[in-house]
Amino acid sequence: MSDVALSATQMEVKRERSAIGSLRLMQTACILVIALVIVSPLFMLLVASLKDDRFQILADMGSFRAFWVSNPTLSNFAEVGNLSGELAYGRYLLNSLFILACTVGAGLIVNSMAGFVLAWGSLRGRALILSLVIALYVIPQESIIMPLVIMVSRAGLTDTFTVQIVPWVASPLYIFLFYQFFAQLPKELFEAAEVDGASVFRIYRSIFLPLSLPALATVSILMGIEAWNQYLWPILVTQTDYARPIAVAIATFFGQDSIYWDRAMAASVLMMLPILALYLAFQRWFVSSFVGSAVKG
Amino acid sequence: MASVTIEQVRKQYGAVPVIHGVSMDIEDGEFVTLVGPSGCGKSTLLRMLAGLEDITDGEIRIGGRLVNDVAPKERDIAMVFQSYALYPHMTVAENMGFALKLKGEGKAAIEKRVREAADILALGPLLDRLPKQLSGGQRQRVAMGRAIVRHPQVFLFDEPLSNLDAKLRVTMRAEIKDLHQRLKTTTVYVTHDQIEAMTMADRIVVMRGGNVEQIGKPLELYDRPANTFVATFIGSPAMNLFEGSVVNGEFATRNGASLPMPTRYQGAAAAVYGIRPEHLALADNGVPATVVVVEPTGSETHVRVKLGSAEANLVLRDRIDLKPGQQVHVAPDLAKLHLFCAQGTRVN
Repeated sequence: MSDVALSATQMEVKRERSAIGSLRLMQTACILVIALVIVSPLFMLLVASLKDDRFQILADMGSFRAFWVSNPTLSNFAEVGNLSGELAYGRYLLNSLFILACTVGAGLIVNSMAGFVLAWGSLRGRALILSLVIALYVIPQESIIMPLVIMVSRAGLTDTFTVQIVPWVASPLYIFLFYQFFAQLPKELFEAAEVDGASVFRIYRSIFLPLSLPALATVSILMGIEAWNQYLWPILVTQTDYARPIAVAIATFFGQDSIYWDRAMAASVLMMLPILALYLAFQRWFVSSFVGSAVKG
Repeated sequence: MASVTIEQVRKQYGAVPVIHGVSMDIEDGEFVTLVGPSGCGKSTLLRMLAGLEDITDGEIRIGGRLVNDVAPKERDIAMVFQSYALYPHMTVAENMGFALKLKGEGKAAIEKRVREAADILALGPLLDRLPKQLSGGQRQRVAMGRAIVRHPQVFLFDEPLSNLDAKLRVTMRAEIKDLHQRLKTTTVYVTHDQIEAMTMADRIVVMRGGNVEQIGKPLELYDRPANTFVATFIGSPAMNLFEGSVVNGEFATRNGASLPMPTRYQGAAAAVYGIRPEHLALADNGVPATVVVVEPTGSETHVRVKLGSAEANLVLRDRIDLKPGQQVHVAPDLAKLHLFCAQGTRVN
């Protein structure tokens, strides 16, 4: 009798296990499909950049041949990777990298300092300032862009790197992100450092900043993507190649009589690489910051 | 080392007063424990000593120097926090040497002092570890190491053992006491655990509702509590208190029991009769009582009995076989009797 009962229980366990197995299989299949949908345009871009015939690229776009290259070549990259001349995309890439590095570097310092002071500083009206910072976030960039353009052109800053960096260094979103991160660190850490003899700036530099790696990584990536993808602002404030970023330069491929898909694709791949490297470098902290913010009470 | 003087110190948060004019003198090298229930103001007082809270009124002097407006780093104090507050990204050695680094000490001097402190606390093999790689007790020792490495005038401890398990708490209690005996640094130690206070302190300050209830040596507080609050707070199990009045040479409790009184106190205006559990014994000629619960601990037996309608605790040194519901007779040791007036103040 007990053997029969046991085998019935075993059957039930088997059935449950098989149901769980099927569910996992379906989940994996769904994840694969979603991943393919996301990755396929990027893969197509990479494949197209390795083809040397721009008409062939156009012809392949509607079929699966868009994902295949029979004679891969780096000639497109060689053409657009120059530092001077008509196709000085190497130069534009360096411009973009410089703008990115300065914006992210200065942004990390300014926004983290502001977030720290809002979280731990002993300044009057802290809550009001924080509310104002959050309120600023809801103002769309586009609504202030024309007054900003007039301002910088009156200041004689057009066609410079400064004008592409300074306006985007301080951001209410990143100040708030840092504020949230710093505010959740225990008060005792601040007080212990205070008793140890650290000034407020030293507490920020030696204790709180090294502990905010996840927040630094998150802000670096978000800020980096934002700076890298700036298009409207550089178009409005740059007139020459001197400080033009690659995003604006790539657009020139599409504004002429004929579209050079091969060069456009190679330039796009060049443009993608640094931001991909930035993401891969900070991915661990980036993910942990999101996980951390989800599980910490 | 330095003395600490607290004079009529008050603290208000907005309109809410939390410390109502506390005064005390802590001698050079003394170990003083601030003890009391949650919200009594003991941690606030310690934080005011550290300079982490402003003082609304009054004066605090460390080594004779008025420090009311002196920043924490200039008070020459070191503090051990309840959560240890170790810097998570620094190794044990870096944690301990951080204050010295801020002072501008040389690398060799820092290493020497960290090594000395590590030797005292047996932290030598752990110097290169991060706090997350340490157990609770080890973290506690690092927090102490961070304090002693600075050779401060005063150590401040804010409930440092409350995050540890019971067994480790006993070990660390002994270590802190041993450390104090070796360093002889003035120490102010906050705890809500009266056993910790009793076992460690030279003097105990019992606080309630932002006031000092009594200051004294541990056994003074145990033997002669100034009021019913101190009487029940100090000692475990707590002192048995019975409300009532003196009638015909005996103390008639409100709960219907009659307890014996020594003749010399029969005229006292006693409204509360207090007797510690170990000063109540089983005796054939005692007051009738009914056993409610028996708790053998091995070394002693805790017995809860009903005296009239009130309950009382007994701590018996002998292993006695008692059953719930059993009728017994209990007798107080009249030499150890505590009498309090209706306001709760000691009268004998």
